[in-house]
Amino acid sequence: MANLNIDSVKQRTFDAIVIGSGMSGGWAAKEFTDKGLKTLILERGRDVKHIKDYPTTNMYPWEFEHRGELPMAVQEANPIVNRCYAFGESAAHFFVKDAEHPYIQDKPFDWIRGYQVGGKSLLWARQTQRWSDFDFEGPARDGFAVDWPIRYKDIAPWYSYVEKFAGISGNRDGIAELPDGEFLPAFPLNTVEEYFRDHVKSKYKNRYVISARCAHLSTPKQIHLDQGRVQCQRRTICERGCPFGGYFSANATTIPWALKSGHATLRPFSVVESIIYDEKLGKATGVRVIDTNTKEAIEYYAKVIFVNAAALNTNLILLNSKSHRFPNGLGNDSGVLGKYVAFHNYSAHIGAEYDGAKEWTTDGRNPAGGGYIPRFRNVYKQETDFLRGYASGFSAYRYPERSWDGVGSSLKDNLANKELGPWHVGSHMMGETIPKESNFVSLDDKQKDAWGVPLLKMNIDYDDNDEKMKKDYVEQLTEMFTSAGFTNIKASTDKRAPGLDIHEMGGARMGNDPKTSILNKWNQVHSVKNVFVTDGASMTSTSCQNPSLTYMAFTARAADYAMSEMKKGNI
Amino acid sequence: MDRRTVIKNLALIIGGAALLPACSQDKAKSKVALKNIDITADQEQLIGDVAETIIPKTTTPGAKDLQLHLFVLKMLDDCYKKEDQQAFVTGMGHFADQSKKLYSKTFDQLDIKTREAFLLDIEQEGKAEEAAAQKNGDKKDAAPATISAGKYSPELKKFYSIVKRQTINGYTNSKYFMTNIVVYELVPGRYNAHFPYKQKQAV
Repeated sequence: MANLNIDSVKQRTFDAIVIGSGMSGGWAAKEFTDKGLKTLILERGRDVKHIKDYPTTNMYPWEFEHRGELPMAVQEANPIVNRCYAFGESAAHFFVKDAEHPYIQDKPFDWIRGYQVGGKSLLWARQTQRWSDFDFEGPARDGFAVDWPIRYKDIAPWYSYVEKFAGISGNRDGIAELPDGEFLPAFPLNTVEEYFRDHVKSKYKNRYVISARCAHLSTPKQIHLDQGRVQCQRRTICERGCPFGGYFSANATTIPWALKSGHATLRPFSVVESIIYDEKLGKATGVRVIDTNTKEAIEYYAKVIFVNAAALNTNLILLNSKSHRFPNGLGNDSGVLGKYVAFHNYSAHIGAEYDGAKEWTTDGRNPAGGGYIPRFRNVYKQETDFLRGYASGFSAYRYPERSWDGVGSSLKDNLANKELGPWHVGSHMMGETIPKESNFVSLDDKQKDAWGVPLLKMNIDYDDNDEKMKKDYVEQLTEMFTSAGFTNIKASTDKRAPGLDIHEMGGARMGNDPKTSILNKWNQVHSVKNVFVTDGASMTSTSCQNPSLTYMAFTARAADYAMSEMKKGNI
Repeated sequence: MDRRTVIKNLALIIGGAALLPACSQDKAKSKVALKNIDITADQEQLIGDVAETIIPKTTTPGAKDLQLHLFVLKMLDDCYKKEDQQAFVTGMGHFADQSKKLYSKTFDQLDIKTREAFLLDIEQEGKAEEAAAQKNGDKKDAAPATISAGKYSPELKKFYSIVKRQTINGYTNSKYFMTNIVVYELVPGRYNAHFPYKQKQAV
């Protein structure tokens, strides 16, 4: 019996454990297995195999029972996830349903989740921009949160590293506040997007409209073909999973790469209840997992543990990893764990028409979605009555206007109309929010989920800064649209709860000082050197770029550091 | 004659019998399996006639050819709130009554022109009400407008708007439409950002 037990422990012992198989977890797994580390990848949801488990990927619109719409019973049972734009008949199977994984909203928070291998990397909007020092220096310059413990030069080589493998399309635009990367050819701006780009350039000093940079293989390179991926086919139905591997997802890219190495073990249906801390050794020894099928609790052990469970679930796991040494959660000497959560403000939009360029249209579809306007507010100096700023999407499109009026053969003719209407233009706001102690998540002391894990409580809200910024977005974009000669300009704001942006960040922030942060400059827990957090939870501030690329770069960098520390015998 | 042909012929005979007035009492169920609503074959026939008036067979297929009335029922059954389903069924009754009241005939007995005029009249009344409501909504402190009772009940208009919306939805998302009229490409494989376009001269 004793031997059997030893064997069992041996079987459950790895070099590295990665909690989560999504955007960042997949990268940790790839990096460890590339270097031959025996790696366990834990995923709380089911497995989703590339291509094989994309049931809707090749369906035509008419093949969907309700032509894309979800049955009312599903919508009514899922008021939260139903607010997400991609939750429809073609991709609902990749989203967590409200009742399956409850949480407590002390303040309204739309927590959109994808519990499966690949996580939300299957569903993301695939926009990828680097941060610059205007972002990393933000908190120190503007006096909020804590200073980032790194600068652009620390992360730049790692951006390059992940961009080459993931495949990022974009132009080298030479804009200091949005550094260029290792790009595949950009998806071009169309006629009216170019017109607006030129207009903005002529009228403003530091405002740019560029081709949106995105994780699509516009023209793949050998490294992408080696992953089994081919050129993006411009389908723009990416949330169904792409059989071409045309965009970056963990499913198409990092996870199969890690598994191919022979060094990875992927264990789906594995909820991590907590990280095990050994008081004598002064480090973490493994994780306690609940098998979601059998409800059995199993321990796994490793020299190093990467927590990539998605920002708020990473907070939950750390908060729930209590020991004599860490009664308030693993690594939480400072008391800031779960606090200083922030997100992106997406609650303003603007649309208009352009009465020109009638002799041009587009053909096919643009997976990049159009243009991107980097942050132009408060970049070089503070210039408004609010802190920080916003990036903006920008796109132009035209389509045949097909009136639904009337009945009979005239209606049939209208519906078949191919004559294009005027150009429409649209933009949406992507605003930075300021991390605050009062925006936090915590564990409920009574209610637990089906696996005995305490429910997470959300206390996250907008503030006055967000309102002022939103107003400024509407004013500035209205001015830019007006001066470009756009007509019928309509700005709209909505009252969406935080969370629907699906860019929740922070709670286990990086910082120089262990008294005010959880992680050091290597995404390493200050007080538990063999635990690293490299997903959204690690973010000290949010800036306004889409965050996934930065998580990827942090992960590859931290994995590299962890392995060098392991070699040196430091962890 | 093989068995399949026999059944086919039999079906034709039975189908013909359905035209006899006595059969209007027939409470046969709708062809499409429904979970939440109860629709008789007669009601299904009525929805089919309304859908066919909206999208008629011309040189190209119409609503009945594409079974859009069954799609309307499928959507109604699965994708609408209970109160909308109830309003639909009530409104369908009002619709049948109103046809008799205004034209002294059941809807299926009306000629195409009259059917179209009937539907357009309902649509017109709905639009006028919407416009009035919008105008009223603009004046924040104004007392709620007393909407004068029109010819058609709110349920009737609900019935009509659901049939119309889902007939068009089913039509424009049908395989026929998406492979013949406005072709849908599953795999475009291209994005041309600058594509010349020649606007037709206004007629």
